[in-house]
Amino acid sequence: MSGMGRQFLRYLRLLGVQVRASVLLALQYRGDFLVDGPLSLLWALTAVSPLLVVYRDRAVLAGWSFGEALFVTGWFLLLTAVVEGTINPSLTAVVDHVRKGTLDFVLMKPADAQFLVSTAKFEPWKMNHVLTSAGIFTWGFVTLGRGPTALGLLQAALLLLTATVLLYSLWILTVSAAFYVVKVDNLTYLFSSLFDAARWPSSFFPGPLRFVFTAIIPLAVLTTFPAEAMLGRLEGRHLLGAMVAAAAFSALARAAWRRSLAQYTSASS
Amino acid sequence: MISVHGLKKHFRVHKRPPGLKAAVASLFSREYTTVKAVDGISFDIRPGERVGFLGPNGAGKTTTLKILSGLLYPSEGDVRVDGHLPQAREEAFLKKVMLVMGQKQQLLWDLPPAETFELNRAVYDVPREQFRKTLEELTQLLELGDLVNKPTRQLSLGERMKCELAAALIHRPKVLFLDEPTIGLDVSMQMVMRDFIKRYNEETGATLILTSHYMDDVAALCPRVVVIDKGQLSYDGSLDALVQRVRPEKRVVLHLGGPVERQQLESLGQVVSLEAGKAVLQVPQAGLSQALSRALAGLPVTDLNVENAPLEEVVSELFSRSRAAREAEAQA
Repeated sequence: MSGMGRQFLRYLRLLGVQVRASVLLALQYRGDFLVDGPLSLLWALTAVSPLLVVYRDRAVLAGWSFGEALFVTGWFLLLTAVVEGTINPSLTAVVDHVRKGTLDFVLMKPADAQFLVSTAKFEPWKMNHVLTSAGIFTWGFVTLGRGPTALGLLQAALLLLTATVLLYSLWILTVSAAFYVVKVDNLTYLFSSLFDAARWPSSFFPGPLRFVFTAIIPLAVLTTFPAEAMLGRLEGRHLLGAMVAAAAFSALARAAWRRSLAQYTSASS
Repeated sequence: MISVHGLKKHFRVHKRPPGLKAAVASLFSREYTTVKAVDGISFDIRPGERVGFLGPNGAGKTTTLKILSGLLYPSEGDVRVDGHLPQAREEAFLKKVMLVMGQKQQLLWDLPPAETFELNRAVYDVPREQFRKTLEELTQLLELGDLVNKPTRQLSLGERMKCELAAALIHRPKVLFLDEPTIGLDVSMQMVMRDFIKRYNEETGATLILTSHYMDDVAALCPRVVVIDKGQLSYDGSLDALVQRVRPEKRVVLHLGGPVERQQLESLGQVVSLEAGKAVLQVPQAGLSQALSRALAGLPVTDLNVENAPLEEVVSELFSRSRAAREAEAQA
């Protein structure tokens, strides 16, 4: 096997060990599962209720019917599960590591530090939201009176990957700031508030905001594009744009992380 | 194994002015100052040596350890650990070294230490069979027993520290940096840790650098000490020679069967302490045998011990001497 293949397998094994530790931890706190289930349903209702209000006396808004807008809400819930279950727990711990100085232990390990900190903790119970979002997608298809197409599902799967990479990269950029400023709470709140706007189709926003949420902070890539893919109306250039954005943001995040680590180890002095 | 030549580590830090007005002004224009944490030290350490780093707080001990373990880049100088440049942080280097910090922990807090061991096994790519054997040995030597299967948060500080050491040694590092490994532990646990560290060194031939404020750790573990003060090397040699150089006098502890006058004792040497039934004298090496025979002949001595001055005193005197020398140099 080639050196790269061996490395890939090694990191896959490492991921397995880290996931195992998280699952063991989650099983210790099975109460979380019992609480998270109903909470996830409540959260879904909260996420859908603004749609019910908006569509009470109109059938279509900014080109989206109620049934279609449900897909954006479903994707918003699905990505919330991805963020809260796989990205957020590990990366908030990095801020603690930097503050307490325990990042030293991570840096002394013979493996990529970004990989180690990013896979340190998962919260499996947050995957409840995945089931809830699947329920919302079903509701959307039933409302529209049709099912998904194979191409639409394939495009949606690709966009789930690009959205996850984008969200992860945005988080790494935020966490990289933790090396320079002690308090990054404000940045994480800003991140959460911005992400909240992704619950709406991007065309709901007026011109300048729509531009910002598509071209600068790629919220449209996160929820609007995948919803359009599931509805079978995604434009090819949007899929390509999402992939380019994901690649660009991950490269930017990697560069920021490396720069922050160099600052931590005072490579510059 | 370790060679350090002309090592310097200077940090550029923001000068914090006193007062609100100056603090507001510093938001717009800042003055910086250079802190010389390590300022030109050199030493070599042979494979398998146990070396103690001594120095007051802020002397540069931890900075040096962090440079040796690849966590900090040196500002100047050449540092090699088993042929590697630590700051390059090559995988081969990281697999050979380990840093144990008594004040920080790597164990997963909510899970049993066994999970951290398993994680380290995967990170360090330790073959299963070797891992099982090492863990068995560590469990036996450190008397870990069932501790490894209890959640870390339920362990006492001493139990946690034993597991920390085990986690650090899963990959059998050739070089071990120990930064205050016994801090906060009770006396018996300190002894357990010391015995284990010494045994690990003897059985594996690992090179060991230790920093500790507990002089008993240094005395028990390190035949050689490197003293760093204000970023500079003020002594490098054997512990015995350090004691001889700084405090050549011997301590004579007399256990007395009846009362004695202070004057009688002062005629034998400097009185360090005098209490009912016990007196401690400081006597020059040259006059030791004469003082002992006079004490035995003229005082109600029931028992006596001859010792070196406590290491704490030796080190404290060394620090105050080098401080005085620096002040004199600055004034000249």
